[in-house]
Parts: sequence; C-alpha cells; structure tokens
Amino acid sequence: MTDTLTHPERQLIRTLLQTYDGHRPQIELFRDQLLVALNSSGALRGQIHSIRSRLKDPDHLRDKLARKIFRQRERNEPFGVTHENLLTAINDLVGVRLLHLHTRQIIAIDAALRDVFNENKYALLEGPFARTWDDESRQFFEECGITTRVSPSLYTSVHYVIGSASRTTVTAEIQVRTLMEEVWGEVDHTLNYPDPIDSLACREQLKALARATSSASRLVDSIFATAQDHKSRTQARPVRRRSRSTAPNSPENVPVPPSQNAETPENG
Amino acid sequence: MSTSPTKSQPVRISVFNHKGGVGKTTLTMNLAATLADMGRRVLIVDTDPQCNLTSYLIADDVVDDLLDKADSPAGQTIWSALRPISEATGSYKVIKPQLTPVGNLFILPGDVRMSEFEVDLAEFWAQCFQRKLKGFRGTTAISELVSHVASQLQVDYIFYDSGPNIGPLNRCILLDCDYFIIPVACDLFSLRALRTLGRTLVSWIKDWDTVSELAPEETFLLKGKPKFMGYVPGGFKVYGGTIAQQHSSFLSQIEKDIHSQVVTLLRKVDPELAHGTISQFKLGEIKNFGSLVPASQREGLPFYSVSSGTPDQRAMARRALFTLAKKVEARILDTSK
Repeated sequence: MTDTLTHPERQLIRTLLQTYDGHRPQIELFRDQLLVALNSSGALRGQIHSIRSRLKDPDHLRDKLARKIFRQRERNEPFGVTHENLLTAINDLVGVRLLHLHTRQIIAIDAALRDVFNENKYALLEGPFARTWDDESRQFFEECGITTRVSPSLYTSVHYVIGSASRTTVTAEIQVRTLMEEVWGEVDHTLNYPDPIDSLACREQLKALARATSSASRLVDSIFATAQDHKSRTQARPVRRRSRSTAPNSPENVPVPPSQNAETPENG
Repeated sequence: MSTSPTKSQPVRISVFNHKGGVGKTTLTMNLAATLADMGRRVLIVDTDPQCNLTSYLIADDVVDDLLDKADSPAGQTIWSALRPISEATGSYKVIKPQLTPVGNLFILPGDVRMSEFEVDLAEFWAQCFQRKLKGFRGTTAISELVSHVASQLQVDYIFYDSGPNIGPLNRCILLDCDYFIIPVACDLFSLRALRTLGRTLVSWIKDWDTVSELAPEETFLLKGKPKFMGYVPGGFKVYGGTIAQQHSSFLSQIEKDIHSQVVTLLRKVDPELAHGTISQFKLGEIKNFGSLVPASQREGLPFYSVSSGTPDQRAMARRALFTLAKKVEARILDTSK
C-alpha cells in the first residue's frame, strides 16, 4: 500500500489498541465462556472434529485498522471505529473455528449452534453466510438456507458473528469449515500473512491446491454419502420383509452436497 | 420517620477484616445499636457461621430453638432462607427478622450451616464465570433476600456481620455492600493482614466487574462497588486517658498502611472506591472499655447501656460511639453524591 497514515490516524490506532488491551480480561472471559458453551453441547460434539480459538493479535488489529482507514478514505467515508464501539465494530477480536469432516454436517451443526446461542443468551448478529467460490458448493449452501458470498481468496467456510447480549457487548466470529479447507487455509495463511508472498510459482501452486482441496472435499462428501446409502440399504432389508408400513425412509429430504467431481470455475 | 442521609435504598455496610479478634462483631453491634438509638431503623444480617452476633442479641433458648427448627418448613434462620438455593429447589424463602433488646434494631439470625452454603457459593462463583444463570442466582441470593426483608422493615441501614476469612461468603457480602469499615487492632498481625485485605478486595471487585459486564441482560447482579468508608483502630490499653506509647506508634503505622495497602490499590481500580482524606478515613477509636465489652455481649446492648462498669466509663463509651456513628453518616453523605 502506498498510503501513509497521518499523525492523528496513527494516534487513534494507538489508543484503540490500548482500549483493546484494557478490555482484554472481558474478551478472554467471553472466549472461555463461549468455548464452555460449545464444548458442552452434545449435539455439536457429535459433528465436530475439533475447535480452535484465538484472540486477535494486537499487531494484526493494528494492520486491520490501518487497512480500514485506507479503504474508508478511498471511498470518502468517515472511519467508523471508536473507543466505544471497538468491540462490536471489529467483530473478530474473538475468533472460533469449528472443524468438521464433510460438507453435509453443516445442517446439523447449524441447528446445534443456534441451540447453543439460544440457551446461552448470545445474540446472532450476522450470518450464517458461506464464503465459497464454486457454483455447486454455493447451490448446496443456499439449499440449506445459508446465504453465500463470493470468496475471492478461494476458501469455503460458514461464518457467524455473535454478541454477548450484556452490559458490554463483546462479539465473536465463528467459522465452520471442513478439515480439508482448514489445511488449505493454513497453508495460505502461513505463506500470505501478514504480507502476501511474492513468488509467482507459490501463488500458482496455492491456486492449484485450492482446487485439489475442493476435489478432496468432494471425495470425502461422496464417501460419506455412499456410506450412508449403504448403511440404510443394509439396515432396511430385514425390515422390508415384515411390512410395508415400516418400509425404510426414502433418502432423507435434505439437500445433498455435490458428490461428483465437477469442473471448478476459473477464478481470476 | 427516617432522618437518615439516604431517602430511598438502605445503606449496606460491612465491618470487615479477615484477621480474627479485631473486634468486628463488637463494633458491628455497637455501631448498629447506636444508629438505632439515634432513631434510624437498622437490620443486622448475621452471615457468620459462628453466629456470635445472633447469640449476643437473641436469648440463648430462643437461639437454640431457631437452630433446632432451621431445617423445618418453619425455619427462620438465614440458612432456612437460603436452603432452597443450596438444594436447587427454588428461590430463597422469606424469613421473619427477629427483634433485639435495642429498639429499631432487627436481626436476621445466623446459622452454623452457613458454612455449607459457603461451599455452594464457591461453585456459584465459578458458574458466573461460565455465564450460567444458576451461578448468578446463587451468588445474589443473600442480597435479594436482604433487599426483600429490608424493604418490608423500611430500614435505613443494613449491617452484615462476617466471619474472619476471605472466603466465598465474605466475597459475596462485600460485593453487595455500599461501604466497608476496617477494624484494626494494634498488633503486628493486624498490620500484616491489611496487605492481603487490600489485594483481595481489589481482585474481587475486578473479577465481579468482568463477570458483570458479560452477564446476560436483565440478570440480577451485586453492585460490586464497596466503598472504603474508613478504619477504626481498637483494642488498646488506656493508661489514665492516654494511649500507651507503644500503641500510639502503631496508630501512625496503621494510618500509613491503610493508605498504601488499601486506599491506593482501590483508587487504581476506581477513585470513587476510596474517596476522602487520611483524616476522614479514621472514623474513630474504640478503646478497651474493660468490663463493658463482655456486658455488652451478654446483654445485647451497646456499651453505654449495659448494667456493668462505671457511669464515667459508660459516658465515655457513649461519646465515642455517637461520634463514630455521626462520622459514619457524614462519610455517607460526603461520598454518595
């Protein structure tokens, strides 16, 4: 970026970081409370492989605020972050990631998450929306009732922003993604954060990895869909002989993720 | 009827020091009784599992009866009131305050089983950190019970009497108070205790503040801002009206330590928590009134009303206590703006 921060802007960022530091005990406690709530949900435990969480690194917050200033300046808009609204304006100060195995689990995970939010009196402030970059995946999420946003960074995950609904509102971003997507995301993050890598070859390989990840995700989905299908067939047989009324359920009336290897759309 | 400085909510005060034997209970009773004699309506809440104050103010056979029946549906001790919370069967039970030998002075009788409730309180506290409503309900149960009884009685002051420790029960009481007073004895251990006292209070206040900020909206919360009203040195020997030499050096050390170990720490959290000058913090001195002390405990009356001691001694005690009570009211007026 060629922009530079003015003295008052640098001053503002510096004091906002102090505000962040001052709220640290509350933010940490909020994260701990949220993790207790997530970990004690039996419904979620059945679907989730693991949970990761972090508090925003102050350096990363500084960069984020600076980028926000540049962006607002370009658009001729005022910079909206203040000491009073820092904890809500920057809604990923607490970040939680739920990792799971295959795409279709999002249906049960979404329901379980909403139960957790209700029980623990957390307000759902944003989402869920899915970041995705391929058409079939977009279709699947939309059939699940999850709105989608195009993700230029080639990863697929479902996002929620929740608030504590208390005297001080602390917010958290919850991302739900598959383990496959997590691998891609971690490789991308390690190479490109905080500064994008300047090797063209690496950037190209990352794009290829995104497609390989997509294929691998499809394969995992397909394996689970096949396994489910197999299970219901073998379980159904003895039942079918007895009577028609207890015939096996037709395949569940839920959207099925794309299970065939589809062409991946070209992404600039 | 009420001529107290507060018009609406009763003022909640705790005489607190985790160091035992500094005259907490004696000071609580005498200050509360003096305010009652000044025409205020005062409620004492005996949360100390040792129930000393209850036994000072209520006849032994009545105390025995209260404790015997505490577990029955007719139970009238503070444990009877809190038992449904402890056993998670419902909300607190409203109990009747008991009359005392002093007019306008009422007491919620203590119970040895408050030590069991203290164990529950430790768990409730942990649940508050997890944002569990059950934790908040348990932690605020004493406060809600006391509010209920106080509004029925229309009292001006509530005094909590607490045991000598820094456990969950005292944490919950301190965080419910508007003010606390530290009684300090003139000995080395008392001075050392001030250091722990200051640090502990600060961590309680900070923790509760953090928890409260994240509590689900509309949760009943403790106020969590106990202001330091001042300290009362006591337990000296008096030789012909002047304090013994050794003790007067203690007095200046106490003053210094109160400032560095309590006032300074509290002000760092919030200047409002310790408002005032060094001389304002010294609320008075409770000298060793000799035979008046056991008589006061035996008869359930303030030093100056007992049947023991000399008229001179009683007059001196009366002056000291009325001066103290007036200073307490002045401090409340001064700091409640």
